[in-house]
Amino acid sequence: MHGRKAYELVKEFASGEKGHLKIFNNELFERVIEECNEHHNALQSLIRKMQEEGLEVQTAKNADHYGALVHHLSLTRNKRCLMAYVYNRAEIIRDLAWKVGLLHELPSEIQEKFGDSEEQYFKDHSKSLKLYMSQLSLDVNVDMVPPKDPYIKVRVLEDLGSGIILSDKSANFARHSMHFLKRTDAEQYISRGLMEELTG
Amino acid sequence: MASSGGEWSAEQIDDYEALISTTDVELLKKAWRNEKASPEILPFEEALVKRAKEQIQLMEETVDDFEESGHDPLIVSLYQMDLDRVQFLLRSYLRVRLQKIEKFMFYIWKTDTYRNRLSIEEEKFTERCIRDMGKHLEETVLSKMPDNYQSVLKQSVISEEDDMVPEPQLDTFVVAKCERTTRPLYLDGSRQSAGFDSRDDHFQMVPGDLCILRYRPFQEELTSGNISLV
Repeated sequence: MHGRKAYELVKEFASGEKGHLKIFNNELFERVIEECNEHHNALQSLIRKMQEEGLEVQTAKNADHYGALVHHLSLTRNKRCLMAYVYNRAEIIRDLAWKVGLLHELPSEIQEKFGDSEEQYFKDHSKSLKLYMSQLSLDVNVDMVPPKDPYIKVRVLEDLGSGIILSDKSANFARHSMHFLKRTDAEQYISRGLMEELTG
Repeated sequence: MASSGGEWSAEQIDDYEALISTTDVELLKKAWRNEKASPEILPFEEALVKRAKEQIQLMEETVDDFEESGHDPLIVSLYQMDLDRVQFLLRSYLRVRLQKIEKFMFYIWKTDTYRNRLSIEEEKFTERCIRDMGKHLEETVLSKMPDNYQSVLKQSVISEEDDMVPEPQLDTFVVAKCERTTRPLYLDGSRQSAGFDSRDDHFQMVPGDLCILRYRPFQEELTSGNISLV
C-alpha cells in the first residue's frame, strides 16, 4: 500500500506528548526512504517503457502515464512525511536549545533519542543563538516568565556545594536546602533541574 | 512623581496618562504586545530598543549606587523590580521575534518585505538558522532522495513555485485596540471607493475601541499605528 509507512511515521510523531521527543525511529525512517527509491525506479522504468513505445511522456494519457503519476505523487507524499517528521522534531530540538542548550550539555536521556544528525543540529542551533546574544550583549534566554517578585524561594535538588557565588551572596547550596534568591540568579539552575521554585 | 496626598483631578489623571503613554517603557510594551499578537514578523524597533538598552544600563548603575550608598533596602528593591520588568519586556520582545524567525526562516528569507524588517543581528541569525536547518534536512532526508526530489523548498523539480515552505497564517483573528480614529474600514479590507455609500458594511474605530478582526486586511492600520494589538 503506497504511503502507509510514511503515514505511520508521522502518526507516531503526532501521537507523542507535545514538546516531548521520542526515540528517532530509524528503522521505519529508512524503510520509507527505501520506498521512495522503489517508487523512483518504477517511475523511471515506466517512463522508459513509454519512450521505447515512441510516446510523448507529457501528453500520452495512457495507463503507463497515470501509473507513473501515481508513483510520482506517492514519492512526493513520502518526502513530505519524512520532511515533516524531521522538521517537527527539529522544532522540539530548538526549543531544547532555548531552555538548556546554551548553558550545558543535554542530559543523556534526551541525547539517546536523537537521530544521527539531530545532535549536531542541536549544537549548531545553540551556537547560532549564542552568537546572536553575544552580538547583542544581552541574554535573551533568561526571564522566560514575567517577573512578579525579584526574589523567589528555591529548594536545591542536587548538591551544588558552596562553590557558587551569586551576584549578592554565596551560600552552601547543599541538597534539599532552601534559599531565598534573586530570580535572575536562580533561573539558570531551575532550567537545568538543579533547583526548584517553591510556590505558595 | 506622585502628588503628595489628596485626590487627583480627572484632568491631572488625563495629563498623566498622556505623558505615560509616550514613555519608552509604554512604547516598548506596545511593540511587544503587537509583536506577540501578530502572526507575522513586524518591523524591528531599532531606535526604541537602543534607547531601552541605554536606559536599562542607566538604571542598573543607579541601583548599584543605591546599594553601595546604603539606601533604604525597600526603595532599592522597588527600583530593582521596575528594572526587572523592563528587562523582561525587552528580552521577551527580542525572543518573540527570534522564535518567529525560527518558525518561518525560509519564508522570511525569500520575502524581501520581511527580510527588510529584521535587525542586522537577526538577519545573521536567520542566515545561520537556514544553514543549520538546511544541513540537517539534507543529511537526514534530502541526500537520500532521488535526484529530482532533493530541493528543500520544492517537492520535486516539476513544482513551479516553492511549495514546501511554511508561511505565517495571516488570516487568523486578532484583538485590535484603536489608537487613532481610523478611516472607514471594510471587513474584507477593501479601500474606500466611489461606491462607498452603496455599501453598508463599513465601520469606523475610535480610540479605545476593541475589535476582533481578521489580521490580513488590517496590516496597514497596524503598521501606521492606528490600531495596536492586545
